[in-house]
Amino acid sequence: MKKIVLVGKPNSGKSLLFNQLTGLRQKVANYPGVTVELKSGRFEQFELIDYPGAYSLSSLSRDEEIAVNKLNEALQDPNTALVICNLDATRLESSLMFGLQVQALARAHQKALVFALNMADELQRFGHQLDTAALSAALGSPVFAISAKTLLGIHEFRQGLLALANAAEPAVPALEHGDEQALRQFSRSLARTYGLASSVVLKNQNRIDRFMLNNLSGGLAFLLVMFLLFQSIFTLAAPLMDAVEAGIGAVAHWVTGFIGEGTTSDFLNDAIFGGVGSFLVFVPQIMMLTLIIGLLEDSGYLARAALICHRPLSYFGLSGRSFIPYLSGHACAIPAIMAARTIESPRKRLITMMTIPLMACSARLPVYALLISVLIPERAYLGGLVNLQGVAFFGLYLMGIIVALLVSLMLSRFVVSRDEKSDMPFILELPNYRLPHWKPLIVRVMSAAKSFVYRSGPVIFAVTVLIWLFGYFPHDAGGLEHSYLGQIGHFIEPVFEPLGLDWRYGVAILMSFLAREVFVGALGTLFGIDGADENIAGLAANIQADGLAFGAGFGLLLFYVVALQCVATVATIRAETGSNRIAAGLVIGYGLLAYALAYLAANLL
Amino acid sequence: MTVLNPAGAVSARHTLWDAPKKAAVSVVELAACLNPLVLNRLREMGLEPGQPLICLGRGPFNGPVVVQIQDCVYTLEQQVAQHILIEPQL
Ligand SMILES: Nc1nc2c(ncn2[C@@H]2O[C@H](COP(=O)(O)OP(=O)(O)OP(=O)(O)O)[C@@H](O)[C@H]2O)c(=O)[nH]1
Ligand SMILES: [Mg+2]
Repeated sequence: MKKIVLVGKPNSGKSLLFNQLTGLRQKVANYPGVTVELKSGRFEQFELIDYPGAYSLSSLSRDEEIAVNKLNEALQDPNTALVICNLDATRLESSLMFGLQVQALARAHQKALVFALNMADELQRFGHQLDTAALSAALGSPVFAISAKTLLGIHEFRQGLLALANAAEPAVPALEHGDEQALRQFSRSLARTYGLASSVVLKNQNRIDRFMLNNLSGGLAFLLVMFLLFQSIFTLAAPLMDAVEAGIGAVAHWVTGFIGEGTTSDFLNDAIFGGVGSFLVFVPQIMMLTLIIGLLEDSGYLARAALICHRPLSYFGLSGRSFIPYLSGHACAIPAIMAARTIESPRKRLITMMTIPLMACSARLPVYALLISVLIPERAYLGGLVNLQGVAFFGLYLMGIIVALLVSLMLSRFVVSRDEKSDMPFILELPNYRLPHWKPLIVRVMSAAKSFVYRSGPVIFAVTVLIWLFGYFPHDAGGLEHSYLGQIGHFIEPVFEPLGLDWRYGVAILMSFLAREVFVGALGTLFGIDGADENIAGLAANIQADGLAFGAGFGLLLFYVVALQCVATVATIRAETGSNRIAAGLVIGYGLLAYALAYLAANLL
Repeated sequence: MTVLNPAGAVSARHTLWDAPKKAAVSVVELAACLNPLVLNRLREMGLEPGQPLICLGRGPFNGPVVVQIQDCVYTLEQQVAQHILIEPQL
């Protein structure tokens, strides 16, 4: 298949354009360095490839390096029919230099090139008319002004792409503009003639930044945003979670009433409604988390947050650029570890990757939420604004971050890298503030929920069924304690006894090495078999009734804060670092630390 | 404001790192001791001698500088900013 490659500066809207042309859903967000690997999709009869952004053809960070190396490969590939160079039309002055460099490269390889000047909707808003015909003549390559957001000019652009990519004779850039120095002068004069004045583009942005980056208001705004982020995951999602729980309870009641008592009804009650159901309750929280992180990503605030965090993070051997991977690690560690590619310094990148698993990812949410509702009473202060359980949640998130920082501090003393780039400084572009792009955001929230269910659902289902079978039979032997599972459980109990936990927790913990959220499902099933008939009342209430010592419960929480129990994360770390030793070391190191903390909590509290 | 004489302009005190907030300045030169890769990147960002800049301020708590170069706003940490020599715009 013939290829069309889509390159451009970071945050210029390549991925949104890619999505519009292919119908796919690549991640789009308002900060530089979102895309960190090549992604392809189909555009008509062509393969369209979305690249990570690059500021220049000489790369500083890993994602740029990928973009530049792969562009060079694509230019040598006879199958490459066309290069799209996507630039931000509102910032020609700083974009055209890169555009001209890419153009010269395409020319050197005799490849066709087209300029897509994206964000034309914003130009329109500023009342600026871009003379694409004249600009195209001056550049010696076709130019389209488009908006990947409002689809302005996209139809013509599609037609243009097809014509250019299908042409028998490739539209190689017609003009030669000279060496670096000449390119720079040329790009300046073009920007002056055709571009928007920088004072117009930046007016809004600079005005907001005067507040957001101010010593006092900026610091407070940052703390407030972070607090609201974590607090709202709990409080805003709570009514939805209650609704889901009530819904499951009602269905369970109806179904079991319909079937009547017996083994089938026990199975449905314990394994399906008690096990699988107890994890469905957390879907609203996952959605809320995705929504809020998505809002932050779209707003443009994250780059500011990275700036604000740079100094404190440097103290721990990290970079301001570690902030965004850390934040997205709260949804899932895997994309976050990939996102660390944008950190210029390989050393800081490595430390960031090694500590991301400590961020409270959404798989921990069910575990935290369950144990918090067991251990912490539901109480609200300040007229419902602050909720004690919400504060406990915030505390757990904070604890993950604090452990990560301490581990970073330690690692930064040990990790030495002789790489030339090892001390690349922190340089970050601050993008324009934008209102969220609602449609993709809603899609993203829904797909986060769906993938949570699809990814964890089958594992949890299998585990709960298995646990139920082993825990239910032999049925006449006298309950869970004497079941097959009970016998196995008592065998492993000595490992968990020092933590103040009985074998049921032990089984659930072991199972959760498959995926953390399995813990809740497994425990739900175990307490289901064990409990009275109306065990749908809620797992938290069952555990409370059963009695879980505060110290042991808190220790269990600490265990989940620290332990690295996710096969996929370990695989990603191995792939990104290329080291089995690092991956294995992290599993063992975090495992031992988790056990030690849980031990201390159980015995001291 | 007094105009600095050309010889005095390249003094350690006049770097982007200690430029006052809201100052309109222009680049004098980039210190050669910078890593060549970084130097190249800064040039491509437009930091050439004579390039006008606007210092927009600092991140909270003496954080990285925020500077407008052409039509972009960047933040640069001390390690870079103190190697960018500037003078007040004429
Ligand atoms: N107003 C407007 N915003 C746009 C347009 N295209 C993209 N955006 C926004 O610009 C931001 C960056 O878009 P992306 O598609 O992620 O940019 P990218 O070039 O892929 O960025 P990297 O992957 O980081 O290199 C997002 O907030 C988009 O919503 C457009 O045509 N108009
Ligand atoms: Mg992208």
